[in-house]
Amino acid sequence: MVSDSTALSAGRLGGRASAAAGQRSGDVDLRRWFQLGLAAIWLLDAILQYQSFMFTRGFSQMLAGTAAGNPAFIAEPITWAARIIAQHPVPANVGFATIQLLIGFGIAWRPTLRAALAASVVWSVAVWWFGEGLGGVLTGGASPVSGAPGAVILYALLAVLLWPVSEPAKSPAPFVAARPSGRLTASLLWLVLWGSLAYLAVTAANRTAQGLHDMVAGMADGEPSWLAATDRGAAGLLAHQGLSASIVLAVVLALIAVGVFLPVPLHKAAIVLALVLSAAIWVVGQNLGGILAGGATDVNSGLLLALIALAYWPVAAVTRGTPDATEAPAS
Amino acid sequence: MIPAWLLDVFAAVMLVVAAVSAARLAAARLRAGVDANADVDGAHLLMGISMAGMLASGLHTLPNNVWVAIFVAMTVWFAWRVYADSRGRTVGALAAGHHLPHLVHSAAMVYMFAAVTAGSSTGGAGMAGGMGGMGGMGTLRVPTLGLIFILLMTGWVVVDLDRISRRPERRAELGQLRSVLWRHRAAAVAGPVVVMPVAVAAVAVAQTAGPASGSSVEAETATGESATDQPEGRALRGLLDHRTADGCRIAMGVTMALMLVLML
Repeated sequence: MVSDSTALSAGRLGGRASAAAGQRSGDVDLRRWFQLGLAAIWLLDAILQYQSFMFTRGFSQMLAGTAAGNPAFIAEPITWAARIIAQHPVPANVGFATIQLLIGFGIAWRPTLRAALAASVVWSVAVWWFGEGLGGVLTGGASPVSGAPGAVILYALLAVLLWPVSEPAKSPAPFVAARPSGRLTASLLWLVLWGSLAYLAVTAANRTAQGLHDMVAGMADGEPSWLAATDRGAAGLLAHQGLSASIVLAVVLALIAVGVFLPVPLHKAAIVLALVLSAAIWVVGQNLGGILAGGATDVNSGLLLALIALAYWPVAAVTRGTPDATEAPAS
Repeated sequence: MIPAWLLDVFAAVMLVVAAVSAARLAAARLRAGVDANADVDGAHLLMGISMAGMLASGLHTLPNNVWVAIFVAMTVWFAWRVYADSRGRTVGALAAGHHLPHLVHSAAMVYMFAAVTAGSSTGGAGMAGGMGGMGGMGTLRVPTLGLIFILLMTGWVVVDLDRISRRPERRAELGQLRSVLWRHRAAAVAGPVVVMPVAVAAVAVAQTAGPASGSSVEAETATGESATDQPEGRALRGLLDHRTADGCRIAMGVTMALMLVLML
């Protein structure tokens, strides 16, 4: 009797352990890795927020500068917030950095994942308005190459796409980003994101002959020699080619936007294209977020676009609503 | 300029890490005579002291050259440990262990001390031959390498946080296993018919718990009891818990990334 019950108990434990191991090594891990990627970016943002420049009046002046060109109802709150930060730069910046640090830690710490993701959405929207002037999308000067529609709003989008779900469902999701809300909603979000980037690529400011050239060439100052040389080389290619370059960019972005509605091989091709374009934008157009030049407040949009694209990579048997490893019962 | 009190806070955290690591070294020797993680705790101790000195000029201890020599030796040591660990293990398993992250940490320390510009090392802190005090620190040569280290640090911090926040559920599994062992302790002498299924479960739980905590699971299941069974052992067990070392590494990773960002 004793040996039987021991065997049963041990078998149950072993089985549970195996199941847990399987769950960890299966599809749920992929989403967790993306969540950890988001957490790492938040953590990096927090660390960047501790830079010396952020404790000076230059930071508040930078924020105030995002009001320019925006409608009054958007611009006035930005100016008001920048004035407050200018009056109390140290406590304000310590607060900002600490909030971002807590969000990063909270996403990485399994029990606080949901709360941290929810907080990240609220914080991202607030910063998008008060810190980035809605990414300049209403000013007419925003470009996907320089970071439109604003890196911070992409954090909010990622939080939604990577939201942990706990209710079981029958239909399998074709990619990780479809798990919380289903394929259609996730695909529409993708369409809106990349479609808006395609639109922004051909706005008047970006169609000028030297628009893209000036933007890329202007990034070289303060960067390491290899990155500055890359900027100068890319700027040379774009010289007087603003219109054609912006049209090509818009076409590529539009193809990416519709890619998730296509059959799997074309869907995969669109994701690869999105990854390559994101990397190119992050390196050439955004100089790795400008971190190496100092004064960067975040990693800019290229890295986040790449993370979003990875969340749309078609994977087999991602069961929508499968309990997340972060929510696995303790016993 | 970043406020001095903020750097002092991070310096204090580094001193706490150093103190905890020293206590772990001492406690491990008291408990078992041999500390299997002595290199890891020793690395935390030295890094904590040196980083505190870099953050706050008043805590500056040794000249730069001495620290460079120490961390070069540490880098070589952990490179050897990683090489030894690599036999038959995947990259993922290596990254989940202690030695690869410490190799990166040690290399980052060498980089920070060796690549700082000469002008800054004699800067505001006014400490001859040293780099005490971030307030007087300038920039690093080869900043791209610094960015790579920053990305690695932040990545490991979140992975560590994820792992230690995952452990409670595994510990619950271990607790259930331990209760089974206690219930049938007397029966364990009956022979392999009883012991084998329990051993199978123990191995399964240990494998699930991962390489970092596997050894402690095996040790506990082998003896059928643990230090938590004795009141005075709880504090010792908490100190020697892998999560304590992970916590030190997290604090160190964040602080190191911050220092690198400030010096870029």
